[in-house]
Amino acid sequence: MIKQLIILFYFLTGVLTPSISIALVIGSDQEEIYIDANFSGEELLVFGAFFSDPSQSRDSKSDILIEVVGPLEDVALRKKDSYFGFWLNSKSVTFRDVPGFYYLSSTSELTNEFLENNQIGLLEKKKSEMIDWSSLTTDWGSVINEKEKEEFYNALIRTKKNDSLYKQASDEIEIIDGNLFRSYIDIPNTVPVGEYNVNLYLIIDNEVSQEYSYNFMVTRVGIEEAIYSISKNYPFSYGLISLIIAIIIGWSGAEIFKRFKKV
Amino acid sequence: MSIYLPIAELSVNIFLLLSLGGVVGFLSGMFGLGGGFLMTPLLIFIGIPTNVAVATSANQIVASSISGTLGHWRQDLVDFRMGGVLLVGAFFGSILGIWIFSRLVAIGQIDTVISILYFALLTGIGLSMLIESSKVIRDRIRRKSVKRKIHYHNWAHRLPFKVRFYKSKLYISVIPPIIIGFVIGILSATMGIGGAFILIPAMIYFLGMPTSKVIGTSLFQIIFITALVTILHATTTFAVDAVLAFFLILSSVIGAQVGVLAANKLRGEEIRALLAIIVLGVATKIALDLLVEPNEIFNLSVIRLVF
Repeated sequence: MIKQLIILFYFLTGVLTPSISIALVIGSDQEEIYIDANFSGEELLVFGAFFSDPSQSRDSKSDILIEVVGPLEDVALRKKDSYFGFWLNSKSVTFRDVPGFYYLSSTSELTNEFLENNQIGLLEKKKSEMIDWSSLTTDWGSVINEKEKEEFYNALIRTKKNDSLYKQASDEIEIIDGNLFRSYIDIPNTVPVGEYNVNLYLIIDNEVSQEYSYNFMVTRVGIEEAIYSISKNYPFSYGLISLIIAIIIGWSGAEIFKRFKKV
Repeated sequence: MSIYLPIAELSVNIFLLLSLGGVVGFLSGMFGLGGGFLMTPLLIFIGIPTNVAVATSANQIVASSISGTLGHWRQDLVDFRMGGVLLVGAFFGSILGIWIFSRLVAIGQIDTVISILYFALLTGIGLSMLIESSKVIRDRIRRKSVKRKIHYHNWAHRLPFKVRFYKSKLYISVIPPIIIGFVIGILSATMGIGGAFILIPAMIYFLGMPTSKVIGTSLFQIIFITALVTILHATTTFAVDAVLAFFLILSSVIGAQVGVLAANKLRGEEIRALLAIIVLGVATKIALDLLVEPNEIFNLSVIRLVF
């Protein structure tokens, strides 16, 4: 962080590369997010500076776009249907390599056309490949038609958004003094662990002018990591330990209160 | 203040967990029940994934039934031989139950099946408690005393493989207790309950066990069945959350002891009627979730690699 701040400082004072006309520098307050016992989500600060080319015409428009892409995972999306008045899961589709977290924000609203042209945006770039059409349809094995594909596809984004795992905003980047910017990104407590990519774009007149990427990790640490890895690697011992804890607390609870009652 | 649950992979408020465990423990201490039948649905209500709720609930019941058994053991109210025979059935039942559970997780129907099972169980429990307690209250008003038969002789006494159960003063076939254990084993593994609510009436009415020995014996066998279910869940569904279990156990053990003290001071039937209403309330909530069209008809689950 400090290193990045220093670079930022040089850019601001023009010491490092005084001749540069367009630049984009960024930093973040964290290179790693630790999931410990107290973890209840976090706010990630992404900040930076951008400089417009003086030769650029005055009415040209510059924008900043921040994209955060979490680790990829496979998800099952199930649709409920009413059977005899009961709402039960029926059809299901497996989506492969879906980001576990996705965030996109820009200083002004961007057109879909722009996002598509520049391969930015959540599903625009993967629309066709990402859906596993050899789906796990239950019961009657009906073929999913185009309309249903689209319905599932929209539901995937919607459910992720409802879980605060996907977000697209155009009012979260704060511009300070014309060329400094910062943005606080909400990382909810349900985020998956793994590598997250942060991509920053400087857009001038709907063209990507500068691009910068870096990544950060979300990792379990301390007791959270210990418990998780024991449960996966030594499940039998893990079960036994859980039992022993239950036995000790259950037994001692009864003993303590027995004495307490006698007194 | 919140705590991150490593297996459920989310954070919950620590006081919410402690009060949940405390209240369920209090009720279980007061009525001599395991409390799993309330614990699992309440955990699901606060957002814990169904599989974690079921598996962790089983772990918590181990602690609460140990606490309970000790008291009955000291008074020599546990029929260990009967408990052992029930466990033979329960052993195979819980293995089948875990298999059913894993299949339901794989086809994505676990939430629905758990909801339906809980709705049926809680409605049954709630209604029978409500009827029983209102009858007692009515009888008390009429100053009637209820007489009960000591022994029930039925088909269970005519089957082969008879064994003498000295503590219960019974000479019956081992087949009925094994079948009862088997059913309880399935329910325990799929629902995260001890099953006392089904076990106790079954022991009284099908096996004809004396009421005094029933609670201790059922608690004794529930320790082992839920211990087995905990191990089976830890090794097959990986859904036992040790952090969640720790806080639930701690608060429920304390709550249960307070509940026992309170039970000696308060009149049973009114509180029993109140518990019945709570149970029916939970059942109604489950039913509404099944019957009312949900806001979001899609649900998402991350597919984890199975080791």
